[in-house]
Amino acid sequence: MAIFLLYWPLARVRALALAAILLANYFFYAKWDLRYLALIPAASTCDFLFGWGLQSSNRAWVRRALVTASIVMNIGLLAVLRYAPARTLALPLTLSFYVFQALTYTIDIYRGDAKGTKSYLAHLIAVSFFPTTLAGPITRVSSLIDQFEKRKPLDPADGSRALFLIGMGLMKKLLIADYLSSNLVNRVFDFPTLYTGAETLIAVYAYALQIYYDFSGYTDIARGSALLLGIKLPVNFNRPYAAENVADFWRRWHISLSNWLRDYLYFSLPGKRSKVFAYVNLVITMVLGGLWHGANWNFVIWGALHGFGLAFARLWQRQFGGTTASRTSGSVLWRYGSIILTFHYVTFAWIFFRAPTFDNALAILGRIASLSASFANISAPLAFVLLAGVLAHYVPKKWYDWSLALYVEAPFYAQAGVLALLVLGLQNVVQSGAAPFIYTKF
Amino acid sequence: MRPTIPVKTTLTVLTFVALLMVPQAIPSLKNYMSIEPKSAATILNFPVATANSEVRADPLASPENLAQALNKQLVAKAPKNLTDPTHVLNHFYAALLKGEGVHIIHYGDSPTTADLITADARALFQREFGDGGVGFVLLARPWAWYNRRGVEMSASNWKIDIAGNSPLKDGLNGLGAVSFRGAPGAIARWKVKGAAHRSVEIAYLVEPEGGAFAVEADSQPIGTGSSTAAPGAAAFVPGYASFDIPPGAAEIALTVTSGSIRFYGADFRRGTGVVYSSLGVNGANVTLLSNSFNEAHWAAELRHYKPDLIIVNYGTNESGFPNFVDTTWGREMRKAVARLQRAVPEASILLMSPMDRGTKGAGGEIDTIPTMPRLVATESKIAGDTGVAFFNTFEAMGGAGTMGRWYTSEPRLVGSDYIHPMPAGARIVGELLFTALREGFNQYKVQELKQKIVEQAERTGREASQRP
Repeated sequence: MAIFLLYWPLARVRALALAAILLANYFFYAKWDLRYLALIPAASTCDFLFGWGLQSSNRAWVRRALVTASIVMNIGLLAVLRYAPARTLALPLTLSFYVFQALTYTIDIYRGDAKGTKSYLAHLIAVSFFPTTLAGPITRVSSLIDQFEKRKPLDPADGSRALFLIGMGLMKKLLIADYLSSNLVNRVFDFPTLYTGAETLIAVYAYALQIYYDFSGYTDIARGSALLLGIKLPVNFNRPYAAENVADFWRRWHISLSNWLRDYLYFSLPGKRSKVFAYVNLVITMVLGGLWHGANWNFVIWGALHGFGLAFARLWQRQFGGTTASRTSGSVLWRYGSIILTFHYVTFAWIFFRAPTFDNALAILGRIASLSASFANISAPLAFVLLAGVLAHYVPKKWYDWSLALYVEAPFYAQAGVLALLVLGLQNVVQSGAAPFIYTKF
Repeated sequence: MRPTIPVKTTLTVLTFVALLMVPQAIPSLKNYMSIEPKSAATILNFPVATANSEVRADPLASPENLAQALNKQLVAKAPKNLTDPTHVLNHFYAALLKGEGVHIIHYGDSPTTADLITADARALFQREFGDGGVGFVLLARPWAWYNRRGVEMSASNWKIDIAGNSPLKDGLNGLGAVSFRGAPGAIARWKVKGAAHRSVEIAYLVEPEGGAFAVEADSQPIGTGSSTAAPGAAAFVPGYASFDIPPGAAEIALTVTSGSIRFYGADFRRGTGVVYSSLGVNGANVTLLSNSFNEAHWAAELRHYKPDLIIVNYGTNESGFPNFVDTTWGREMRKAVARLQRAVPEASILLMSPMDRGTKGAGGEIDTIPTMPRLVATESKIAGDTGVAFFNTFEAMGGAGTMGRWYTSEPRLVGSDYIHPMPAGARIVGELLFTALREGFNQYKVQELKQKIVEQAERTGREASQRP
């Protein structure tokens, strides 16, 4: 909000407005570690120069060399920050989302999908835009540059939407995600054998809710913060557990990452026209996506499960047509059956995603298979939060739109009052501080 | 269109900030403060994440490395946390010095059930004083959480009764507070890793109409037993049947061949050295020892197993009930100690305080549960009053706030319940206990040596004076 108050008085003057955002970007990085103030500008400058070269040259080998250099530099940065001995660097952020975003710039120019910019300042700002720093949504740099260059007044409705999004994000994160993690999920995944099969199963469901509300809560806050500056970031979640198959799930979950994987990884793999390779590439893409989360077998299994799920969905689509079950068959029962099955498949994969080790994942599955039923560790408030999480996810979208419209139309003092009450309420209800966002560690 | 200041949104933001500032101006609303103006200056604190503690900052550091690093810092404090004013531990130290076999029995709650802490202490004792074998193991796993490091267990068709948590209230709970009733079809298997054991002793309840059982080693029969009381002999007393294990056998299996038998467990022995039996019950508190055992039965069990040291390690579960801690806990602990002293008066008894237990405070920080320091102080006083030794685990591991520090360390040393240690945390506590007892043993050895020198000098003096 401080950046909002600083930015708009300067917004009339391009250089000052951009400088204000650059200051905000680097302030956020510096709050994590001062050394980012050297690392980020250096990497951004290299990419700007690669992009400048790509814009200036028509020679195929030069362009290929430049885009390769950009990929090597960015992936190298990611590899060093993620896997170098921490004793030498000890940097808290692995810059995954910075790297994904930065690569969209040079690859898009190379492919002719974007023009690039001659403005060094605009590039520096777009590539390290602070709301997307920690966990996306991954936004094409060219789209951000366009928005920074074509600065528009902030529509009052957009301003209200921004504040609404931030409020929603805080509620998702603090009221649901953090509550579930500290009161059930973390405990069960730490020591599965201390809990009954029923409690373990509930903890697995709770994790499915936790990761959704944590990540989508972060995204809401990021989108709201950007919108306060008049910048529109892409939607990243769309009720993912209402998906009817795994392909549908990835159109609703972490949409910016699935688009990135599709556009920059899947389409780059050989054998696109081959019937078999199309399926193999889906599995490879998702396994690589899994490995990005961490170099261990659990993430490989998670990625492979989703790869096979996507391949199965594509095979189904080829055989029976349509992209979702409801389109292939009008049956309501079939549709809801598909949703329940997809949710459980995705939730099964989450076990491997969340478990710290393969043995831990097996222990979780073993406890569920024990069929032991006791609910001593499921308190009434916990059950209430779980229920609220489920209902909030499946609530009709028009209810959300209705409450958003109500907030947007409210006078400024009512909006401020609602936000203040929300903060006060969260402070008194949660009383346990905020846990780090799950995706900031990737 | 050129951008202008968005009036409505700006007003909303300013009003929102003003509303959050209201409690600053009205003292009666200070509980509703969301913004702390004094902390505003911290916004300009920019960190450089250097490896302030090399191991701690290294996410690739193994739990073992971290445990070693932290242990170095903690170990120096350990001897001060072991108090034994009446030298009750001398019996245990003497047994260690003699080197003819030492049995430690450790009663505790859930960490002991999972063989956390005890497994690490056992490994250290056996490394230094010899490995006498696995010791007493329950017949089956009453909880998925039950574990004995180095032993794989599988069992089926048993009716399990856990002392204090079962309709069976006769108190005939064996050594480990759990009994297992089985009929033909019931089977228990143990696969012990590492060096071969020489013998296994099966413990059961002698009953007027018991049953028969058979024991196999790697599918080869090694003996049979019966739990039926001989004519004229006492019933409802502990019974034991010992079997030699053929060299190289890895798996021992027990089956019920007829009747119905109430078993307790198996005691695996390897030879001389330290045997460390961990006897944990999930969710247990000290009333397990003070009330749930039939005293005569338990005393018979204890006398049979001849413990040189009995460690009593409860308090964590009790600490969640302040009223119980303040009114009842001390009384029950005294009762438990008295029962042990009556049963095995020669054995050394050590009260081991609970670890720190964390709870989340209003601001999200992890504090020590308020009852814990009171409970530890009470336990220390009881140890002094009853003439047994006391190990202050709570202080040895760092005192109040330890679980908060352990939770935020990298890797984590305690689970998300701020109660159960992760394996690396358990290892620290196990090492602290071992180090304290070894330090005590070293002091005992020095004392013994001094005593011998004095005696030798006196003898030499007497002999010299008697010479013509």
